[in-house]
Amino acid sequence: MKLELHKIMVKRLVWGEATTVRDGVLYVNKQELISLISEDELLGKVDVDLAMPGESVRIIPVKDVVEPRWKIHGKGQVFPGLVSDVETVGSGRTLVLSGAAVVTAGKIVRFQEGIIDMSGPGAAYTPFSETCNVVLLLEPAKDGMDKHDYETACRTAGLKAAAYLARCCKSVKADKIVAYNHADIKNAMWGHPGLPKVGYIYMLQTQGLLHDTYLYGVDVKKILPTLISPLEVMDGAIVSGNCVSACDKNSTYSHQNNPVIEEMFKRHGRDFNFVGIIATNENVTLADKKRSSSYAVNLAHMLGLDGVIITEEGFGNPDADLIMNCWKAEQLGIKTALLTDEYAGQDGASQSLADSCPEGDACVTAGNANEVIVLPPMNKVIGVVEEANVIAGGWNGSLAADGGITVELQAITGSTSELGYTKLGAYTI
Amino acid sequence: MSCSYVLFTNNPVIQNEVINDSLKIVFIGGTPLDVLKSARDSVHLGAKLLTHPLYGNLRPHQQPYRTILAAKENEAQKCDFESLSFMEKAIEVYESCCDRLILPEDLPELLRRDYAFVDFELMRESFSRYRLI
Repeated sequence: MKLELHKIMVKRLVWGEATTVRDGVLYVNKQELISLISEDELLGKVDVDLAMPGESVRIIPVKDVVEPRWKIHGKGQVFPGLVSDVETVGSGRTLVLSGAAVVTAGKIVRFQEGIIDMSGPGAAYTPFSETCNVVLLLEPAKDGMDKHDYETACRTAGLKAAAYLARCCKSVKADKIVAYNHADIKNAMWGHPGLPKVGYIYMLQTQGLLHDTYLYGVDVKKILPTLISPLEVMDGAIVSGNCVSACDKNSTYSHQNNPVIEEMFKRHGRDFNFVGIIATNENVTLADKKRSSSYAVNLAHMLGLDGVIITEEGFGNPDADLIMNCWKAEQLGIKTALLTDEYAGQDGASQSLADSCPEGDACVTAGNANEVIVLPPMNKVIGVVEEANVIAGGWNGSLAADGGITVELQAITGSTSELGYTKLGAYTI
Repeated sequence: MSCSYVLFTNNPVIQNEVINDSLKIVFIGGTPLDVLKSARDSVHLGAKLLTHPLYGNLRPHQQPYRTILAAKENEAQKCDFESLSFMEKAIEVYESCCDRLILPEDLPELLRRDYAFVDFELMRESFSRYRLI
């Protein structure tokens, strides 16, 4: 399978009469975009705003971030099963508006998620302070609407907007083309003799409203672990069901740009043989946790993998899934490296994970989500700043009279991404 | 009909929504930590956990409700040590921030209602798995 990402570099957003991209500027026809999103009868008032890196702008409450992509050649279309048909994706050519993002904002339930500051100290903690953001401000058509229906409407709005922006630019020549090849299992088994066979157990949060993830439009809590090509992921086969806990609920954008996949491609054929991905879930029942971890690890065993990278999504009971995946793989002789984040308390002194095992001796952390940060006031707020008092990671009193906010990193979108799509890191000095 | 399952909760919505002959509801008028301790005590008497005692993505002090589903005590009152291990680890997490736990009555009605709703939603799949709704 071969996929080419045709990247058009976006450095600025401007309202325009037609949606297109020229010389690094993405022009957005505001009314056309609003009309498209407003087609969904479940949405009431829809507004669109723009936020650029370095501006004194705060976006709150953020629900998801999506990278604009559109398949310009080949089978299927981006975000299969949600805004396009369910045909298999991951091959052909996909246009990417690199540097641009669609951010969905608004309330779904009464307690809230997600802050993106485009400048100041908060900007240093979110990768989405560096993207040119087309922000959709969403409200339900009426009070008392079914929250599952409304969540679906918000999720679909972000995907539709991202697909629309890229589709409008489909005739523009790319600034850069990046090609990815991924071998089928038959060739992967024979490829790169002498190198260890390594896979990726891709844990997806799947627990209920605002804690869900979709694969080809299917609610992942209802699947058994399955094989998926990394190229399918790049085409939007995995989509976030919006968020609870903004720091480590993986946005759709971070799935599309999963750095674990990117790094495994770089090291494929050099340090190891990247055989493939096993997508698995993080359900609530213990029976599901046991079944899915056993099944995912058995798939790794059947593929003859020597090692797996395991990324967690979220925290709390998903820690149990992470640990089950780890020790079950290790007991079959499959080496593991874990990628997670920590909830070690504001002083960093508490136990970081709710579960652990002796086999989990290779673990990478994306940071302590309880670390407190003070966000100074911004000149402009897109959304509702009062939600800071009911945001996960904030508390009643988080919002100061001058508009500043004191919160834990948990409130900042993508700050401790367990895919590693984050700006936190550690350096040896 | 004898009860096969036991539900520990401080969420009044669940108490009212989930009514099933095979389910015994233990309603605890207290904090989520009180719910955990009640479930833990039953595990000592032979109850077996069916759902994980911790939330996903919400810290103990970020959700005033907690609901745990278990299979009822076995006749031999034999303790399931895996369940006990999950319970003790969860209690440790809750106790690490017990000074920040919020009580439902401390919250405005609209906020309280949504917390109760989400607690129910996160249990919905489990209830349906065991044919309780």
